Amino acid sequence: MARPVIACKTDGKQEQAVVQEFLQMLGPETTLPVAAIKVLIGVIARSNASTIMGMERELRQTADLLLDSVVLHAKSTIALSSGCELFLRYVTRCSLDFPNFEDCKKQVLHRGEKFAEMSVTSRVRIAELGHGFVRDGAVIMTHGYSRVVASLLLRAAQTKHFTIMIPEGRPEGAGFEAAAVFSKAGIPVSVILDSAVGYFMEQVDLCVVGAEGVVENGGVVNKVGTCQMAVVAKALHKPFYVAAESYKFARLYPLNQRDLPEGRTPMIRLDPVGGEPAPPGVDCTNPCVDYTPADYITLLFTDLGVLTPSAVSDELIRLYQ
Amino acid sequence: MERERSDRSARRTASGNFDPSVVGVRTFLKNWPIVLSQMEKLSVSLKRRQVSGPYHCAKATLELLRYTVGTCKWATAAQLMELIRAVGRELIAAKPSELAVGNVVRRVLFVIREEYTAKLRQAEDAAASGAAAAAAAEVSVPSLETVLGGEQLEADFSAPLPDLKQLIIEGLNELKAELEEMNSVICERAAETIHANEVVLTLGRSATVEQFLLAAADHYRKARLTFSVIVAEAAPGLRGHELARALAAAGIETTVISDSAVFAIMARVNKVIMPTHAVVANGGLVAGCGSYMIALAAKELSVPVVCVTGLYKLCPLFPHDQDTFNCLLAPSAVLPYEDTELAESIEVLNPAYDYIPPELVDLYMTNIGGHQPSYIYRLLAEYYHRDDYILAPEFEG
Repeated sequence: MARPVIACKTDGKQEQAVVQEFLQMLGPETTLPVAAIKVLIGVIARSNASTIMGMERELRQTADLLLDSVVLHAKSTIALSSGCELFLRYVTRCSLDFPNFEDCKKQVLHRGEKFAEMSVTSRVRIAELGHGFVRDGAVIMTHGYSRVVASLLLRAAQTKHFTIMIPEGRPEGAGFEAAAVFSKAGIPVSVILDSAVGYFMEQVDLCVVGAEGVVENGGVVNKVGTCQMAVVAKALHKPFYVAAESYKFARLYPLNQRDLPEGRTPMIRLDPVGGEPAPPGVDCTNPCVDYTPADYITLLFTDLGVLTPSAVSDELIRLYQ
Repeated sequence: MERERSDRSARRTASGNFDPSVVGVRTFLKNWPIVLSQMEKLSVSLKRRQVSGPYHCAKATLELLRYTVGTCKWATAAQLMELIRAVGRELIAAKPSELAVGNVVRRVLFVIREEYTAKLRQAEDAAASGAAAAAAAEVSVPSLETVLGGEQLEADFSAPLPDLKQLIIEGLNELKAELEEMNSVICERAAETIHANEVVLTLGRSATVEQFLLAAADHYRKARLTFSVIVAEAAPGLRGHELARALAAAGIETTVISDSAVFAIMARVNKVIMPTHAVVANGGLVAGCGSYMIALAAKELSVPVVCVTGLYKLCPLFPHDQDTFNCLLAPSAVLPYEDTELAESIEVLNPAYDYIPPELVDLYMTNIGGHQPSYIYRLLAEYYHRDDYILAPEFEG
């Protein structure tokens, strides 16, 4: 499976060790935020700090280090930061419940064992909540390769027949990767051009996509092309669903595409199809992810339940108030 | 003697295979023939539409469940909940389109959970033991806070508690009182919803809407003010005529129009007061056939749509398309049976409901205040436990 190429842009030895540890955590079943949380738990286990304050500072440093030095190919690090924030918030809350430092540390480490399963359990839960939305005989459009969407559609395929349309997902071709997974499960799937989304939308019954991050107003950050699909779906009155784990909820409030934090949302140079270099003087810089405003989203399937976009801010406010 | 025997067999069942979902609810209820016959009676009435409409269905279901709780023998809350679920499934299967039946079953389960948890905590406080166990019994709603921190310990409802039956019955009596008072509570908001000299449009006849309009008229009569109502007749049932008669009798200026005139008249309307059959989880609603057309016309001309409803119509299920919660009525209302010549060559459809998506509704006026459609999910979390959302998967998927 062609996972994103991950590079480390730091020289310090210790820093590299942390990033290395992070890279080892990543697996086919482990997502970025969960791997980050595991790294942070490792920090706590090794920590010599004797106060909550000291421990929190170490965690913050590690989190910042991960965010600054992990460079993902064609992917944003928004989920990475939301995972770290969620864990730091948990440690703070835990320190209020357990005033004794050693007790608090023990509790955090004890819970840490559960986090490893978190990606898988949330995905199963989302699949259970969401598969009912897929009706027999439906035509479904999705975008990019999302493990959550895959588990949802595979769950639906156990009881229903439906077909999938998926744009090829330039530049890295995530659509082909996803199509291979669906096809292997016996679901009829066709890969379409990224630019053919508008052409095929009239045949579609519903769209469901994953997310790299869910922002405070209920909008999502996802593979580039998601926004245009959502706009076309809205124009043709097709429901547009997002499936995402709750640890991807990020405290961001973008008002337009350029509001996304710089550095977390990489731009790439795109060479023209065919391998020929771009003509001189032509700018080929392109985004890897885009932001889909909440207005275009019908519902979000999360492990907290099926939420309307406005429910996302409710959840975030309750946690960070 | 008879009583003693049935008690004994109940104990046997209780100690052996209590689970009504395994032995079948009918077999299980043989020990309490009155409950069984009541259940059968309500099932048949639902099927034959002798009991129909959300309010009557909700009330009849609540009566039956309260009677079941009081009459059947059960040792723990877990057993009782299993029994309530089994009876609920029977009723839902009898008439899946009457969503209020399932809503009441979920509310009753919610009351049982609440009473059990409160009682358990009380018992533990008295014994002053184990703060952890008390925390475990807390009804936990999944949220971002519990994703990492919460142990997600759910009470298993297996502790036998004294007086639990009494507490649950009291809880259900409160629920019944709430249900009966609901419409009058909503009516208190009539004057702030309908303003003097406005023109409002409604469809068919709903008890809630009727009382709401009459309450508003009452309010303005004292000030010698008035408003007028346009009633779409709601063919082929024509219940709109009945509403118009009731409103005219109360001195409200009333106009009856055919359903096909809705768009033409919408330009004169200040507000649509929408009657509903059920409010669904995404904030949309299932309402009498013809309402979708009204909602679309209102949207086109930017007329606000206010849905007046009691919360017993709040349903935690999601609609997937126009057919999900619909049912077809007898075609004779559309095409009389006498017209055999035509009936042989055509198909006649008479659907009961429309699904209206949330973006076409501006406001829900409920017994606990006005809410936007996007807020409905919060009400759901307050009203039902999320494990109870799906009761009968074959009808609710």
